[in-house]
Amino acid sequence: MQVKEFKVKWGMAIDIDKCTGCGACMVACQAENNLSPIEDASNKIKVMNWLVVYELSNKKPFPEHDVAYLPRPCQQCGTPPCVSVCPVIATDKNEEGGIVSQIYPRCIGCRYCMAACPYHARYFNWLDPVWPEGMEKALTPDVSVRPRGVVEKCTFCHHRFMQAKDKAIVEGRDPEALADGDYVTSCTEACPNGAIVFGDLNNPDHQVYHLARSKYASRLLERLHADTQVYYISRREWVRRQLDNYLDNEKVKG
Amino acid sequence: MAVDRRGFLKFVAGVSAGVMVTPIPWKLLDDASIWTQNWPWIPSNVDGASTYVSTVSKLCPSCVGMKVRLVGDRPVRILPDENHPLSKGGISPLAVAEAQMLHSPARVMRPLKKAADGAYVAISWEEADAMLAEKLGAAKGGIACVSGDETGTINEVLSAIAVQAGSGNFYLMPTEAQPAAKAVAAMGGKGQLGYDIENSDYVLAIGANVLETWGTVIRNRAAYKAARPHGEEPAVQYVFAGPVQNSTAAGADQWVPIKAGTEGVFALGIAHLLIKAGARADAADFDAFRSLVEAYNPAKVAEITGTNPEQLKSVAGALMKARTPLVITGSDFGQGTGAATVMAGVAVNMLLGGMNRKGGLKLLPVAEPVVSSAMTRAEMMGKDFVSYMSRINAGKEKAPAAMVFYEANPAYALPQATKMSEVLAKVPFKATFTTFLDETAMLCDLVLPVPMGLERLDDVATPYGSGQALYCLARPVAPMPANVKPAGDYIIALAGKLGCSLGVSSWEEVLQAKAQAMGADWDSLMDGNVFMSDATVSASLSFGADALAKSVAPKAKEGDFAVAPVFKLGIGTAKTAIPPYNNKLIRRWELQGNELYVAMNGATARKLGVLMHDKIVVSNKSGNLTARVNIFEGIMNDTIAVLMGLGHTAFDQFSKGKGENVMQLLTVGFEAGTGLSVWNMAGVTISKA
Amino acid sequence: MEKNYSLPADHDLFPEGAQRCSLLKFMIWMGLVGVVAAWGLYAAYKVLSTGLGVTGLDDYFGFGLWITFDLAVIALGAGAFFTGLLRYILNIDPLKNIINLTVIVGFICYSGAMLILVLDVGQPIRAWFGYWHANVHSMLTEVIFCITCYLIVLIIEYVPLILEQKQLNRNPLLHHIAHNLHVMMPLFAGIGAFLSTFHQGSLGGMYGVLFARPYVFREGFFVWPWTFFLFVISAVGSGPVFTVLIATIMEKMTGKKLVSWEIKSLMGKIAGSMLFVYLIFKFMDTYGWINTILPNAGLTFEQNFYGNIYGQWLLWTELGLCGVLPCIILLVPSLRNNPALFYSAALLDCIGVTINRYVFTVQALAMPVMPFDSWETYAPNWAEWGSSALVVAYGAIVLSLSYRYLPVFPQEKKLNATKA
Repeated sequence: MQVKEFKVKWGMAIDIDKCTGCGACMVACQAENNLSPIEDASNKIKVMNWLVVYELSNKKPFPEHDVAYLPRPCQQCGTPPCVSVCPVIATDKNEEGGIVSQIYPRCIGCRYCMAACPYHARYFNWLDPVWPEGMEKALTPDVSVRPRGVVEKCTFCHHRFMQAKDKAIVEGRDPEALADGDYVTSCTEACPNGAIVFGDLNNPDHQVYHLARSKYASRLLERLHADTQVYYISRREWVRRQLDNYLDNEKVKG
Repeated sequence: MAVDRRGFLKFVAGVSAGVMVTPIPWKLLDDASIWTQNWPWIPSNVDGASTYVSTVSKLCPSCVGMKVRLVGDRPVRILPDENHPLSKGGISPLAVAEAQMLHSPARVMRPLKKAADGAYVAISWEEADAMLAEKLGAAKGGIACVSGDETGTINEVLSAIAVQAGSGNFYLMPTEAQPAAKAVAAMGGKGQLGYDIENSDYVLAIGANVLETWGTVIRNRAAYKAARPHGEEPAVQYVFAGPVQNSTAAGADQWVPIKAGTEGVFALGIAHLLIKAGARADAADFDAFRSLVEAYNPAKVAEITGTNPEQLKSVAGALMKARTPLVITGSDFGQGTGAATVMAGVAVNMLLGGMNRKGGLKLLPVAEPVVSSAMTRAEMMGKDFVSYMSRINAGKEKAPAAMVFYEANPAYALPQATKMSEVLAKVPFKATFTTFLDETAMLCDLVLPVPMGLERLDDVATPYGSGQALYCLARPVAPMPANVKPAGDYIIALAGKLGCSLGVSSWEEVLQAKAQAMGADWDSLMDGNVFMSDATVSASLSFGADALAKSVAPKAKEGDFAVAPVFKLGIGTAKTAIPPYNNKLIRRWELQGNELYVAMNGATARKLGVLMHDKIVVSNKSGNLTARVNIFEGIMNDTIAVLMGLGHTAFDQFSKGKGENVMQLLTVGFEAGTGLSVWNMAGVTISKA
Repeated sequence: MEKNYSLPADHDLFPEGAQRCSLLKFMIWMGLVGVVAAWGLYAAYKVLSTGLGVTGLDDYFGFGLWITFDLAVIALGAGAFFTGLLRYILNIDPLKNIINLTVIVGFICYSGAMLILVLDVGQPIRAWFGYWHANVHSMLTEVIFCITCYLIVLIIEYVPLILEQKQLNRNPLLHHIAHNLHVMMPLFAGIGAFLSTFHQGSLGGMYGVLFARPYVFREGFFVWPWTFFLFVISAVGSGPVFTVLIATIMEKMTGKKLVSWEIKSLMGKIAGSMLFVYLIFKFMDTYGWINTILPNAGLTFEQNFYGNIYGQWLLWTELGLCGVLPCIILLVPSLRNNPALFYSAALLDCIGVTINRYVFTVQALAMPVMPFDSWETYAPNWAEWGSSALVVAYGAIVLSLSYRYLPVFPQEKKLNATKA
C-alpha cells in the first residue's frame, strides 16, 4: 500500500522516565471522549480504555528491580495495519494531520482491524454503554456516544483539532499551520508530570519535532514498519529494549 | 370484481417490484447506518455553549486547582489550570473525575434518618433540624466533632461548636499534617512546615510519596515536570526511600528500599553522616542531637532499615554536594507516622542549612482564627483522634454523647477500622454531613447531604506541603441538588440553635474574615485568583533531641512480615471511594472481580512457599484479610504491599464489595516521646489459605 | 390408490425405489436435533438482543470459536467446488455419484457460516456495507463478495436436486427448470470454482496480510500472501474426504450403503494428492516463516508458543499426525483401501485443517507482539458453543430432510438391491 504523506503530521513524544503511572491521562481520556464507566473493570482485555498505561519491568529481582510506566494511545500509524483491512472503509487515514479516523456509523463490527493492530489500540463495544442515572449529563457534546457492536479507538482528540482550526479561522490565522499548543489532546493536557508532548512532527516550531529526533527516542515495534506517530523516549536502555522485539544478539538503538 | 388468489399474488408481486424502483427501500437501507447508531436507549450528548470557570478541588487531597468546562449549565470536564499554583497545568487522577462524581449513585441527595429496622429513610429538612436540635441540645457538653476537610475554615466553625458545646473534642482525620505539627511543636517552633520544591536541586523523599499523594501533589509534580526536560539529564535529582517502588520511586532517579516505618531512622542515618562530614546547626541542643545520632552509623541504620550502607552513604554525599537540597519525610501511605519521622527530616534540613532558604524547608505563617472560640491551627493539629478513640475503647475516656462528622469517614479510614467502627457504635447519637453514602453514614442516626466542592463556596488555606502561605476559594460552578443545603451556613445556624456564639452570621462572612486574616483581597479571590505570600516565620528550631531520642526507637512488631499500604490518588480517598471511571485504574493484579491481590517480592514468596495467584491469609490481632499473591519485585523483603481504597462496604456499585480494607490490619501504637498515635509499623503473619 | 400401511406415512415423498425408516423414528431424530437447535437459537437470541458481551470473546480475541468454526467448515465444504470442478470441467464421470452430497454439504457449510457471521458481526444490519462501501484493498471485502456469490451458486446447484424430489418433479415446469439447470451446471461449476478459489484463498490472505502480526504474516506473490494459496490447497486437500466422512456417518445411521467404495477411495485419492501438494508448500512456508519473517520481527521460533494451550505440539500434530500421516495413507493404495486406515486418515486430515484454522485465528491473537504485553488465553463460552451447535443441528436437519426426500445418492438403489 502506498504510504500517504501529509504536510502536517500530529504526533507525540512520550518520556517514559517521567511517567509515574498515576492514570490521570486515562481518566481524562474517558471523560473527554464519553467512554462509559463499568462496574467490574478487572477483565483488562475486555474493558475499554482508549489510552492504557502499561507497567514495564526490567525483570530483575529485588533490589535491582526497576519499573517504568508507558502510556499507549493509538499510534496513528503512517502505514496503519488496520486501515488496509477494514472491509467497509470505516477507518481511514485520509485527512491532513494524519490522524487515523474511526467512523462509527460505518463500522459493521467485524473486528478485523482489532486482529490487525499489534498495539491493542482498538476496542470493541461488547455491550451497550451504560451510565449511572444522571451521569449522562456530564457527556461532552464533542464526541458521539457509540452503540454496541462498533469498534472505537483513540482519535488524538480529533474534535479538539477541529475546534483549534475553527478558532484559528475566527482569529484570522492559518488553520493548516497551528502553533505549538494550539491543539493538544486531553491526555497531554492532563498529565501533571508533562510526560506527554503533542504536536506536529513535521513542524520545527513544535517541540515534538525535536523530541522525536532525540537519540533516546524510538517507536513501538518499529521493525514491523507501521511507521507510527508516537515516539517514546527513555534514557534507560532496558526500557528502550522493550519498545521492540530484539534477538539476543541485536543491539538497542540509542 | 372479486380478487382471487392469483390476482392477489400478482398484485403483491407487482407492488414489490414497483417499490424496488422507488427510492424508499434504498433510502431506508442506507439510513441503516444512522438508526443502528442511535437506538433510543443509547444516551445522546446535548450541545451547548462552553464556558470555563477556575476553582480548586475540595475533593482531592492535593487541593489541585482546576478549570471546569461547562456546556450550558452542566459541568462536563475538569481540566488543568495553568495559572493556579496548585495545578500549574496538571490535574490529579481523582479531581479529573469530579464532574462525573456530581452524578455518582452514592451521592446523598436528601436528609436520611436511620429507621428502627436499620434502613435509611428520607426525611425533610425540618425533621432533620428538629432531630439535631433535640439530640445535640441534649448532648451539650458532650459533643465531639470530626472533620475530614483538612484545609477548610469550616474547621473553625466545627471546633468552635466543639469548644462551646463539647469539651473541646474537635478532631481532624489523621494525615501527614499532624505528625508534622507535633514535630514543629517539639522543636520549639511555630508555624507550618513549607516545602520549596520548585527551587530545590536535590529532593530526597523519605517515605513521603511526593509524586503521588503527599502534600500539594500536583504542584510537586509541576516542579518535577519543570526539572526534567524530555529525554535529557534531569536538572533536579529526585530520590525516594521507602518500602515499595511506588509512583514516586518510578519517577525518581533512585529508589532506596527501606523497611516500612523506618523513615525516621534512615533520616538519622543521613544526619549521622552529615555531622561526621562536618555539618552543624545553630540550635541549643545540637550536642544532645549529635550524641543521639552517634549510634546511627551506616551499619546500624542498615540493620534497622534494611538499607544498603553504600546507598546511604551515596545519598548523604549527594545531599552535601547539592546546592539547594531538600529532604521531605513522611509516611509511605500518607498517615500513621510518628512525629519523630518529621523531626528527623527537619533535623537533616537544618544540618544542610536549608531552613527558610530558597529550595529548602520553610516555616510558614498561620493565620489566627476568625471564628469566636475556634481552635487555632496548632490546637487542631494537636488533637489526636486515633488516640481519643483508643482511649474510649480502653475505657479510659467516656464516649461522647453525640458525634458530628463533616466530610469524614472514620468507620472506613481509621487504623484498626473494624475495632474503631465498634467504638463509634457506642456513641448514642451520630450525625454526619457527607456528600456520599459512606461507611460512617451507615453507622449514623442522621445523614445530612452536603454539596460537592463544585457546588459550594469554600476555601483552601495553606495545604500541608505547600511552599508558601496560600489562600484560594472554591467557587460554585453547578447548582446544588434540590434537597441539599450549603453546609457552612447550615452549621453556623445550627451552632446558633445550640447556643454557641461564633461571632459570625454567615459562611461568606467567615470566608471574608479568613481572607482578610490571610492578607488576601476578597474580590480578587472571587475572580478566581490565588493569594500567595512569601512570608515566613522564625525557623530557629531546636532538634527536640530528648523527645526524638525517646520516639525513634522502632517498636517490636507482631508477626514476621510488614504491611506496606499503597495509597494512589486515582483509587480515591476514604471520602470519595472509587469514582466510576477510576476503577479502570486498578491494575490487573491488584484486584480480580472482587478478589484482592497483595504484592510481595519473589524472595518473600519463596520464604512463604507461595506462587503467584496462590491464596493467602494475612492476619494480626487487629484483623485479617484473604487475598491472592502477586509477585512484584519492587517491594522490600518480608513486606506485603496492599492497595488502599478497596474493601468498601458502602458507596455504590463501583466501590462496594471489591477486595478488602487494609486499614483493619494497622495496629495502633503510641510514640514514646510524644504520645502521638502511630500505625505505620504493623506486622502480620501470613499463611496459605 | 389405497394406502399401504406397512410403509412409512410419507413414503410418497421418498425418492424412487428408496426405502426409509418410519416417520416416527425420523421425527424422534429430528426432535433430538431440534432440542440442540433450540438451545442454539436461545444462544443466538441472547447474542443479538444483549450484545456480543455475552460471549467469551474480548478485545484480544476479536476472533474466536465462531471464526475458527467458519473457516473450518468453509475449508471442509470445499468438497463442493472441487468435486464440481473435477466432475463438470475435467469430466471425471464417477464423481457424479457423490457430487449431490458435496453440494448439500457445501450449502450447509456456507449458509451455516453466514448464520454464524450474522451473530459474529457487531452490526449485522450493516453487513451489506461490504458491498456498498467496499474497500478494494481488504481481503475481507473479497471474502464477503465471493462467499455471498458462491452461496448463490450453491443454491443454484442445490435447487435442481430439490426439484428432483419425486412429487415436485412431476410438475412439468419444475422438471424443466431442473433439467435446464443441469445442462448449465458446468458453467456454474466453473463460476463456483473461480469464486471458491478466491475466497478460500482470501480467507488465508486475510491473515497473511497482517504485517504487524508476525505469527501469521507472510510474503507472497503480487498482492497474495503465501497463506492465500495454502488455504485453498488445504481446503481441497480435505474437503473431499470430509464429504466422504459425512456419507459414511449417514450410512451408519441409516444402515444403508450410499456410496460405493470406489467412489470413496477416489475422493480419498483426490484429497491425498492435494494434501501432498499442500504439505510441500506448507513445509516450505513454515521454513521461510521461521527463517525470514520471525527474525525480521526480532522473534525466535520458541516465542511463538506458550504453555500447552498454544504449544508446539499443535504445530507438529498439524503437520505430522494430521498431515504427513494421512497423506501417506491416502496415497498408498494398499493403505487407502483399508477402511479403518482410510477413515482414520480422513478424520486426521480434517482435524489437521481445523487445527490450522484454529492456530491462525486464536493462537495468532493470543501471542503478544509488544514485548511488555503478555500471552492471553481464550475459551469459548456457552453462547458460542450453543450457536455453533445450532449450525451443526441446522446441517443435520438439512441433510436428514435431503436424504429422506431427495435423490441424493445415484448408487443407493443398486448398492442396497440385495436387501428385501
